[in-house]
Amino acid sequence: MLKMVFSTIMLLPMTWFSKNNMIWINLTTHGLIISLIPLLFFNQTNSNLINCSAHLSSDPLTTPLLMLTAWLLPLMIMASQYHLHNESPSRKKLYLSMMIFLQISLIMTFMATELILFYILFETTLIPTLIIITRWGIQAERLNAGTYFLFYTLTGSLPLLIMLLYIYNDLGSLNIMFLTLTAQKLTSTWSHNLLWLACMMAFMVKMPLYGLHLWLPKAHVEAPIAGSMVLAAVLLKLGGYGMMRLTPILDPLTEYMAYPFLMLSLWGMIMTSSICLRQTDLKSLIAYSSVSHMALVIVASLIQTPWSFTGAIILMIAHGLTSSMLFCLANSNYERTHSRIMMLSRGLQTLLPLMAFWWFMANLTNLALPPTINLMGELLVVTTSFSWSHITIMFTGLNMLITALYSLHMYITTQRGPLTHHITNIKPSFTRENMLMFMHLSPIILLSLNPSIIMGLTP
Amino acid sequence: VAHAGRTVGRLGEGDWDGKVSEIKKKIKSILPGTSCDLLPDTSHLPPEHSDVVIVGGGVLGLSVAYWLKKLESRRGGIRVLVVEQDYTYSQASTGLSVGGICQQFSLPENIQLSLFSASFLRNINEYLAVTSAPPLDLRFNPSGYLLLASEKDAAAMESNVKVQKQEGAKVCLMSPDQLRNKFPWINTEGVALASYGMENEGWFDPWCLLQGLRQKVESMGVFFCQGEVTRFVSSSQRMLTTDDEMVILKRIHEVHVKMDHSLEYQPVECAIVINAAGAWSAQIAALAGIGKGPPGTLQGTKLPVEPRKRYVYVWHCPQGPGLETPLVADTSGAYFRREGLGSNYLGGRSPTEEEEPDPANLEVDHDFFQEKVWPHLALRVPAFETLKVQTAWAGYYDYNTFDQNGVVGPHPLVVNMYFATGFSGHGLQQAPGVGRAVAEMILEGSFQTIDLSPFLFNRFYLGEKTQENNIM
Repeated sequence: MLKMVFSTIMLLPMTWFSKNNMIWINLTTHGLIISLIPLLFFNQTNSNLINCSAHLSSDPLTTPLLMLTAWLLPLMIMASQYHLHNESPSRKKLYLSMMIFLQISLIMTFMATELILFYILFETTLIPTLIIITRWGIQAERLNAGTYFLFYTLTGSLPLLIMLLYIYNDLGSLNIMFLTLTAQKLTSTWSHNLLWLACMMAFMVKMPLYGLHLWLPKAHVEAPIAGSMVLAAVLLKLGGYGMMRLTPILDPLTEYMAYPFLMLSLWGMIMTSSICLRQTDLKSLIAYSSVSHMALVIVASLIQTPWSFTGAIILMIAHGLTSSMLFCLANSNYERTHSRIMMLSRGLQTLLPLMAFWWFMANLTNLALPPTINLMGELLVVTTSFSWSHITIMFTGLNMLITALYSLHMYITTQRGPLTHHITNIKPSFTRENMLMFMHLSPIILLSLNPSIIMGLTP
Repeated sequence: VAHAGRTVGRLGEGDWDGKVSEIKKKIKSILPGTSCDLLPDTSHLPPEHSDVVIVGGGVLGLSVAYWLKKLESRRGGIRVLVVEQDYTYSQASTGLSVGGICQQFSLPENIQLSLFSASFLRNINEYLAVTSAPPLDLRFNPSGYLLLASEKDAAAMESNVKVQKQEGAKVCLMSPDQLRNKFPWINTEGVALASYGMENEGWFDPWCLLQGLRQKVESMGVFFCQGEVTRFVSSSQRMLTTDDEMVILKRIHEVHVKMDHSLEYQPVECAIVINAAGAWSAQIAALAGIGKGPPGTLQGTKLPVEPRKRYVYVWHCPQGPGLETPLVADTSGAYFRREGLGSNYLGGRSPTEEEEPDPANLEVDHDFFQEKVWPHLALRVPAFETLKVQTAWAGYYDYNTFDQNGVVGPHPLVVNMYFATGFSGHGLQQAPGVGRAVAEMILEGSFQTIDLSPFLFNRFYLGEKTQENNIM
C-alpha cells in the first residue's frame, strides 16, 4: 500500500522541483504510472481484505473506487493545462499541489481500515477542494459556493464523529473487519435511532440526497475543471462508500429508518432530472444530472441486498467516469466560446466532428445505453428496488426516461442543427482534449466487456 | 538579547520588525471582530461574466436586450449586460428624437420594420407589461405623414407608394386639389403629388418607450451598468476561405468596461458583443479592430457610421394648421409637426452636405432656422410667416454615410460582434423590429420574421448600396 501512498506523496516534491516546462509531462506520466498500482488489487479470490498493512487495506468494494481515483489524477492534470497556462509557475504548482494533496487524502480514505482514520481523511478532502473552488474558480459566486460546500458537509459530518467515538467506546475497535464480526444488533430506541441518523447524515449530504443537494450545483458550476471533475467523479462516491461501510453496524434499524431517505431519493431522482430538462447552463445541467444518478446509488445502499450493493458500486464507477467526461466536454466548449450557455454554441458537429463523437458517447453512457456499465448498474438497482417494493418501478422508470430526454436534448442542442455565426472561428480540438475524452471513455467500454471486476463484494 | 535583534538587522537580513508587524496586522484583520476587507468591494462594477454584452443603452440596445430575453426558450437562459456611458441620456439620439413613425419608405424591409413597430407600439402594454408598474402611455398621435413631391420626384413617389401598398401600408396619393381640399392651410405651389399615410403613422413620446423598455428589461433580469467600453480583448485565428485566401477571424472574449470618473475598469468575459452605440458606433467598431487594414479589403472596411447633428426647433403660431395636421415633409426637405394642443409646432430640415454642422457638441445654430428653414415653411404654410421660435435643441443622427440605412447582423471577420446601428434618423421607429431581427440572428442563426439581409455589413465591402430615398 505504501507504494501507492508514498508515490503520490512524492508527486509533491516533483511538482515543486520540476522545470517549468516539464511540470505537466512529469506529473501526467507519473500519475499514469501510479494508476497502474490499483490494478494489482483487482484479483481477489475471496472476500478477505488484501491486508497490506494494519491501517490501509483494499477489498473488492474499495478497489474499483481506488482505481477510479488513481485514474482520474492524470486526467485532471491534463484538463487543467489550458486555463492555467497564463498563470505564474508558482501558482500553477500550488494548484497542482492542491490536487495531489486531495489525491493523497482520497487514496487513504478509500483504503483506511479504521473508521476514525477514514473520518479524518474524509474531512481532509474538504480543504484542498475548498481551496481549488474558491481560489481558482471563475466567477464571484465561487465564494458563496465554497461556503455552501464546506458548511453543508461539515454540519453533516460532525454528528458522525460523535457517533464513531461512541461506537469505539462501546465496541473497543472501529476496524472494518471487526465491525462486521462483532457488531451487535441495535434496538429501536430513540438513542439508537439518533445514532443511525447521525452516522448516515454525513454521507447523505455528500451523495447528495435530494433535500440536501443545494451545495452541489453551486460548487460544480463555480469550480474550475479539475475541481468539477474530482467533485463529480470521486467526492460524491465517498458518500456511497461510507454508507456501505457503515451499514453492517447499523442493522436492523436500516429497514425502517431508511424509509424517508428512500422516498426522498426516489422523488428527488425525478425532480432533479426534470430540472435538467429546463437548464440552459451546461455545467449546471451536468451537476443536476449527477444528483439524479447518485439518488439511485442512495436507493441501492439503503435497500442493502447483495445485488443492490453490486449495482451501487458499478453505478458509482460508471457515473464517475461519465460525469467527469461530460464536465471535460463542457469545459472544452467553455474555453472556446467563453459562455456556458448551451444555446449559444449550436451545430458544433460541423466544426468539430471528432469532439461530436465524444459528446455522443458521453451522452449515450449518461442515458445508460446497453451494454455499458451504466446500464448494468442502473438495471441492478432498478431490479432490486422493484423487488423491495413494486411501486418504485414507476419512479425509476420515469427517471430513466427523463434522463434519456435531457441527455439527448443536450446532445442535439450543442451538436446538431445549423451552426451559429459567432462560433465559426473557434480553435480546433487539441490532441490533449481528444486524449482526455478517450481516456475517460475507454475504461467504460472495457469495463462493459468485463464488469465482474467492479461488481464488489459478491462474486 | 535586545542587542541581538538589532545585530541581526544590521547584518542585512531585512526588516525583521517590519515583517513581524505586517504579519501581526494580517492576523488581526482575519480575527473576528474587525472588519474583514480582504476582498475589495465590487458591487458597483458590472459582473465578471456575461454571455451577451450590449454596448449602448438607447432604444436599439434595449430593444435587442428585450427580444433576446423574450425569445430565449428557457427563462433565465442568457445573461445580458447593457453598458451605457451616460445614464442621463443627455446626448443619446433616442431622447432627442422627434419621435415620428411612418411607413413611407422606398425599401420593402424598412416598410415591414415600421409596420411591425406600429403594431408593437399599439400593443405596447402587452409587450412591456411589468406587474409593479402602471401601464405605459406613449401619447401616440396617429396623425400620419404627408410627403410632398415636386414634378421631378413625382414618378419616384408613385412607385414608392406602390411598394408601400404592396407591403401592407395604408398610404394614399393625393393631387394638389385634394390636398387643398383636405388641408386648407397648405400652399400647393410646386407640389405635383403628395402621399398621405392614413394608418399606423404619427408620432409618440420616445422617452416613454425608452423608460418602458428599460423597466421591462430590468424585470426580465438584464444587468445594467454605467460605464464606457474602452477595450476589447480578442483572440484571432488565421483561416483559409473556400477560395484559398487567408483571412484572420477575430473573436472578442473580454470587454473592458471603465467606470465613470475613475480609472477602475472591469473585464467582462463575454461570448457575443452587440454594437448599438448609435452615434459612437464607429469608435466601438474601431476598438474591435474593424477597419484596420489596407483600404479596399474586407479588413480595411470601416463601419461608415458617423454622428451628424440635426436641429429641431419649436415655435408657436396661433393661426397655424389645425389638430389633424400630419407630419408634413416639404419638397425642400423641411418638415414640421404639431406638438401638443397649444398651437406649438416643431420641425427642422436636413442640411445639405456643405451646410453640415460640426458634430463636436450639441449647440444649436439659430441662424440656420432663420435662413434655411423658415423661408420654406413660410412658403408651404402661409400662416407660418408669423411664427415665434420658442426653443430648439440638437441631436445626433447615427448617420450611415454609405447608404443611410441601418447596419444589422454580424461582422464577417470579427465573428461575434453584431451591429444594430446606423439607422440615420429612423432608428427609433424601427427599433422593435431591428431588436427582434438581431435576437433571432443570435438565437436561431438567421432572420426569421423580417429578412434584413440587405442590411448586413458585407454591403460596405461589396459596394452594394441599399439606398433609401425618403430620408428626412
